[in-house]
Amino acid sequence: MKKTILRNLTIVSAIFIVTFSIMLITNYFQVRSFNPLQTGVIETLRQINEEHANNTELQEQIRQLDLLARRAYFVSMDHLMTGVYILVGMLLVFIVSLRLYFAGEQQIPGKQVPPADDWAVKTYARGYVHWVAGGLVTATLVFVFFSSPYLKTKPPQQAETLAETEALPSEEAGRESSDYGELPSADAPSVPSPADEQEAAGAEETLPAVEVSKVTHNGFRGNNSNAISSARNVPVQWDLNTKENIAWTTDIPRQGYNSPVINGSRVFITGADEQTRELYCYDLYTGKQLWTLTAEGISGSPSQMPKTSTDTGLAASTVTTNGKQVCAIFASGDLICADMDGKRLWAKNLGVPDNHYGYASSLLVFGNLLIVQYDNHNSPRLMALDMATGTERWNKARTDKITWSSPIIAYVNNQPQLVLMGNPGITAYNPNNGEQYWRVEGLSGEVASSPCSAGGLVFGASEYAALIAVDATTGRTLWQANDFLPEVSSPVATAEHVYLATSYGVLACYDAKTGELKSSHELNTEFYSSPVITEGKLYVFSNSGRMYIYSANSDFRLLHSFETGQATFATPAFTDGKIVVRTQTSLYCVTHSSVNS
Amino acid sequence: MRKYSSALILLFCSFLSHAQNRFPKPDFESGYQYPTFRYPVPDETVWMVADLALLVLLMGIVAWSVIRKRRRAPVVLVSVFSVGYFGFFRTGCVCSIGAIQNVALALVDTSYTMPLVVVLFFILPILFTLMFGRVFCAGVCPLGALQELVNVKHYRLSKPLTLVLGLIPWIYLIFAIGFAVTRTGFIICRFDPFIGIFRLGGDLGMIVFGGLLLITSVFTGRPFCRFLCPYGAILSLFSRVSVWKMRLTPSCINCELCHNACPVDAIRPPYGNKVKESRVQGVKRILTYLIFLPAMAVGGAFLLSMTGDSVSRAHKDMQLYDMAVQNEALPQNVLPLELEVFYGQGGTFEDLSLRSETLRADFGRYAAIAGSLVGLVVGLTLISLSLKRTRATYEIDDAACVNCGKCFNYCPQNRINVKPENKKQ
Repeated sequence: MKKTILRNLTIVSAIFIVTFSIMLITNYFQVRSFNPLQTGVIETLRQINEEHANNTELQEQIRQLDLLARRAYFVSMDHLMTGVYILVGMLLVFIVSLRLYFAGEQQIPGKQVPPADDWAVKTYARGYVHWVAGGLVTATLVFVFFSSPYLKTKPPQQAETLAETEALPSEEAGRESSDYGELPSADAPSVPSPADEQEAAGAEETLPAVEVSKVTHNGFRGNNSNAISSARNVPVQWDLNTKENIAWTTDIPRQGYNSPVINGSRVFITGADEQTRELYCYDLYTGKQLWTLTAEGISGSPSQMPKTSTDTGLAASTVTTNGKQVCAIFASGDLICADMDGKRLWAKNLGVPDNHYGYASSLLVFGNLLIVQYDNHNSPRLMALDMATGTERWNKARTDKITWSSPIIAYVNNQPQLVLMGNPGITAYNPNNGEQYWRVEGLSGEVASSPCSAGGLVFGASEYAALIAVDATTGRTLWQANDFLPEVSSPVATAEHVYLATSYGVLACYDAKTGELKSSHELNTEFYSSPVITEGKLYVFSNSGRMYIYSANSDFRLLHSFETGQATFATPAFTDGKIVVRTQTSLYCVTHSSVNS
Repeated sequence: MRKYSSALILLFCSFLSHAQNRFPKPDFESGYQYPTFRYPVPDETVWMVADLALLVLLMGIVAWSVIRKRRRAPVVLVSVFSVGYFGFFRTGCVCSIGAIQNVALALVDTSYTMPLVVVLFFILPILFTLMFGRVFCAGVCPLGALQELVNVKHYRLSKPLTLVLGLIPWIYLIFAIGFAVTRTGFIICRFDPFIGIFRLGGDLGMIVFGGLLLITSVFTGRPFCRFLCPYGAILSLFSRVSVWKMRLTPSCINCELCHNACPVDAIRPPYGNKVKESRVQGVKRILTYLIFLPAMAVGGAFLLSMTGDSVSRAHKDMQLYDMAVQNEALPQNVLPLELEVFYGQGGTFEDLSLRSETLRADFGRYAAIAGSLVGLVVGLTLISLSLKRTRATYEIDDAACVNCGKCFNYCPQNRINVKPENKKQ
């Protein structure tokens, strides 16, 4: 009788536990997914309240509903907890009744049981251990294989965005409001970050309120010096002579072949002559010169400037900035750094470079590190300095012959690699400590073109040598091509293609994976400026000042071509809705005429 | 793979931010003055002393019960009390199992300050084990006690299978220490299957896992203790050499009841060692394993060192670094919350970059050490499985025995011996 009661109690409690557990879990998910304060009624009433702010009756109604929703939520939470207590209680009943039911039932062997064969057990167990060990090894190898750099998805670089753009020619259709919500559009006012709000506040003192774009162009050929810009709404037509789409134009005090750099509302360039070397800051929206910093009083600076060729000059290197400091270097070896308001922070002379054309490598920023490729005949070296203080972080001697190329940061499997062209090697370093990652040789002659990177591959080219594609994960050469090669202009790459402009007027497109020449355009002109890709379009200036805009995809189709009005050697800088261009004598900003007006 | 993990992290972050904003303060100002929050300072010292005193007292009761009195009833009472106090009342924290991680971290990182109570919770059970065997596991550990209390039947698993599953606690221990010393996380605490039950809430997945373990415990003895518990693995080393060991009744009649009753298969039956294999063959096998033992350690180190880079992604700083890298490669207008906080506190990308290098190096080193230890565990297990033993009577496996005293209840000879009238005689 007692056994029967215990058995029935056990069965009933077990059924209750299972049923109740299912109900509790269902209730748990319901409570979790329910957002009490965002019901349709409250939302609607809130909208009405926003339109009629002084309706106290409506506000009271919303307040009551708000209270009701909160109360309902917490009541349901209380019910959930009560359910848990009941469940625990029933579990206790189940266990106790089950134990009592089986109490005293010992597993008495009915007859003499032969003892287990201990050795057979161990033999089986050894076999199992072998299998388990094999399984562990296999699992580890599979894990290593699937997490290896070869199979990892590409880092979300601009190149990846471009690859998507190639598949979707109308990138406007795929725009995400979070990405582009900050365009200077009257319909969609942007919400600047605190840092840029401060920056914008500074500008507001002298200017009408403007929306400062977050898209920066922090060095030669943009961020990471990779010639890919995430700028949007970029103009595709302008003319200096008719002022079509020209926001402003300003004369540059001193000559230089360096390219403009944009950060926030500031534009930076340098200029130099035999007497003075200067860093200039302009306002992006008005073209007004905000400040000038002269590189003077620098210990070790030569009294007489080194000889340079006319097409290089004393200010061929492009400046760089991290948004807090801006640094510039000149052919004299003078390196200066200022804050964003033009206050000189530090300056030093790196030693006058022995360079028969003139020092031309641009500076590169990596976090707070200033990377200087100081290739020259005397003591070629690569160094990293603290942007804020000028303190040397690391310094590596270089074995390559002199070059005029600029360094880039390539992101390979989400890891930064500092890539330098050299003669004869393309070399990748760890930007944190200068440790060499890999090196590939194959360049020759006068190397002036800079490398580029996309999809884990690094591309470098020099005229009379080859265009070399390197798998940056392994440091092995993937392919070489020499159909068309650049002299001064640097290539740019997407996940699928590599594009380059030669000094004899050919624009060429190669397959990034195989090196196959996909297409080329003979343009009977000369290219020193480097192509930049933004919004799936490749922008490149000819030396004469003609702008060519091609589709950056397998079509490589000419979209626009027009004379801008002035000879241009520098590479333009891009930000949302604007292009800043440096010509031989002036700096100008291109924007949409509607915005301009 | 990384893309998916990033998406999951983002999803998790969005969930957190959603959770934070779930109950904003009411929208309208009505003149109501919010009271100032006052948090009562808990008197942890009292509870700390109480916890330690009870820990020692309960282990003492179990030791007295199973070694001196050879009775199970006090162990059951201790188990009930332990589940109630250490489990439900103190919500499973501090726990000796989790203390492994604190101790490991404190050993490698001098900047980490470990509370005294944690040290004692780690050391005291080890000291008691050295003296009396695994009396902590018997009923003082709330996890073991809970499984013990719900156990009704003991359906035995295949013996070779249980031997192989016995590898898991060691591997778990190695990885838990690895994750702790790299400050990646305390995975023993995070994946404690019973903590959600003791706290009547928590991660649903872990509660379900704990529930399944408890259901399994009804039908087979202590699955967590035998096949998962890393602290049990440590205690099994010390219980082999304990001073006073639990013993079967000297006047054993080989009735096999204790063997059938033991919930952790710690009682070995008599065995005549009638192995057909020649002695030379057995010696050769052991020698082979001994020769290959260093190779297994080196091979394990090599294999796991290759995973160091990928495993390092579990560290929060590496996840932050990945976010920063993505942002550097493709600057976004809106920074992820974590990055915004990091940069807001004066952190720089360079700091993160250097930190990631250090972490990768650390993970590579620790993964190699973990791999060599796993190789050693596998090799030593194989060697122990190659040893032949002869037993004339039933014997207790001191490493596996958790001193629960269940065998006493089943032993007919023990019942005779512990009866008061028999003692008087």
